[in-house]
Amino acid sequence: MLLPQLIANSLIAGAIYTLLAVSFSMAFRVTKFFNFAHGAIAAVGGYAVFFFLQAFATNAIIGIGVGILFAGVLGFLIEKCIYLPLRKRKSSNTVLLVASLGVFTIIEALLAILFSSQFQTLPSVFGLDATVEIFGAVLSGIQIVAIVASVLVTTGLVLFLRFTKFGKEIRAVSDSEEVSKIVGINTNALIGKVFLVSALIAGFAGMCAGFDTGIEPTMGLQLLLKGIIASIIGGLGSIYGGALGGFLLGFVENFGVWQFSGEWKDAIAFAVLILFLLLRPQGITKQ
Amino acid sequence: MEYLIHLAILIGIYVILSESLNLVVGYAGLLSVTHAAFYGIGAYATAICMTSLGVNFFLSLLIGIAVSVLVSVLMGFVLSRFRDDYYALASLGFNVIAFSVFLNWNALTGGAFGIPGIERPNFLGVVFSSPLAFLLLVAICVALVHLFSKFIVDSSFGRALKGIREDEEALRVFGYETHFYKLIIFAIGAGLAALAGSLYASYITYIDPTGFTINESIFILVIIILGGLANLKGSIAGAIVLVLLPELLRFIGMPNEIAAQMRQLIYGAMLVLLMLYRPKGFLGEYRI
Repeated sequence: MLLPQLIANSLIAGAIYTLLAVSFSMAFRVTKFFNFAHGAIAAVGGYAVFFFLQAFATNAIIGIGVGILFAGVLGFLIEKCIYLPLRKRKSSNTVLLVASLGVFTIIEALLAILFSSQFQTLPSVFGLDATVEIFGAVLSGIQIVAIVASVLVTTGLVLFLRFTKFGKEIRAVSDSEEVSKIVGINTNALIGKVFLVSALIAGFAGMCAGFDTGIEPTMGLQLLLKGIIASIIGGLGSIYGGALGGFLLGFVENFGVWQFSGEWKDAIAFAVLILFLLLRPQGITKQ
Repeated sequence: MEYLIHLAILIGIYVILSESLNLVVGYAGLLSVTHAAFYGIGAYATAICMTSLGVNFFLSLLIGIAVSVLVSVLMGFVLSRFRDDYYALASLGFNVIAFSVFLNWNALTGGAFGIPGIERPNFLGVVFSSPLAFLLLVAICVALVHLFSKFIVDSSFGRALKGIREDEEALRVFGYETHFYKLIIFAIGAGLAALAGSLYASYITYIDPTGFTINESIFILVIIILGGLANLKGSIAGAIVLVLLPELLRFIGMPNEIAAQMRQLIYGAMLVLLMLYRPKGFLGEYRI
């Protein structure tokens, strides 16, 4: 394969991993547990856009918007109905992790029951599947959207966390939830909002993956694992680290595939994770 | 009757899987989400030895256990560096890697098509081909596994494991090589899971990678959490309930494809409800 195409493929994969990693990291910052349902939310994003594009056949913008919103609201409701009661009961992070495994399993099964377990493709809208050639690499519209969005979302979140009141509250809660409560931050309301934003970004990533390659119920696990791996490589909780990890993982995977073959992508990704956990568990960005 | 025997055999296989996982998760407190990998290694090793090399089932079974123990020791070295959530994540990663080996190492595992034509066990000319005979074999294995597990948890080794689960630092202060204990129990769990895998391969006579995914690991985890962590009887009860429950769906006339997804839906929901209302499970002596 030609080098420009290889770099383009790495950027595309990296962009989707980045979107998942930053959204995962943001929720992790305030709750400190591995939310294994995060990838399933992304899958819901892909399926919801698929569904609402048919429901609002006349207006694709509304279809896409409602689809992503659906994923966001679902993420919010899961936090309110499951994670929040667990936290109130002072459950350990491991209990929350196991509960999120359950949520992941439920969503995967529901998607398969509602939409069949077959691989499906999203219809083409706005010419998103049209391709352009840049420096000898062929990219489709949705791939460019994903790359641009990943950069915008990352910078947006970094600025947001640094300069807005909401962002400062998030940083306060991530340092200490107890102290934040004492100084008058409504931590549970805040965590709810964080889950909403995080799930919206995940839903968007799922939609990009859906337009790019297609949707199947098991896609959530793939997306989740890549997102977690990228955020650990970059440094858990760090937004900018999540982006770094996402693109690094994209490059390692695609160049690795160039050397071995496509089927070993997941194994390569996990080998990278385990190496990082052993050698540099705090990730690239943290001291 | 055939159907009841079939269910009894499945329950037996899941009792082995859940008791062995309970040793690791319940008694040693290591949240392993990779049990299906060892189950698969046992199944594949047995299937490959029997179909390609023509080795007898019982020897293949031992080879399967040996391979699984070897792999688990290598994994265990890596896993021993982690705790709690990171342990769960890294072990889940190993399940993904194992699954992709089953799926992609075509020359050895037959890829997505799997391995057909695995024979039933043959012991000095006695073939366990009828379901009843096979049930007898499974029952013997379950009894041996149960006695062995009971022996482990009642021994001083088992008490040390519970100690590690409650307070690893303290045990280390008393001079216990805790890493060594964790590695041994992980390897024992893996070996027993491989035994279940061998029985499964020979019983169904056909295996493919889809039986050994993360979802299967989660399913075994649900069994032991439902029954209760650190309680072997709980695991038996959990296996019986969770193997029989989805069969009810078939009785109410649900098509197979949907029933499989409903099974997954039920055990996912069960996991969430257990975490919310009874994280100890029904007979549990330890809560995560």
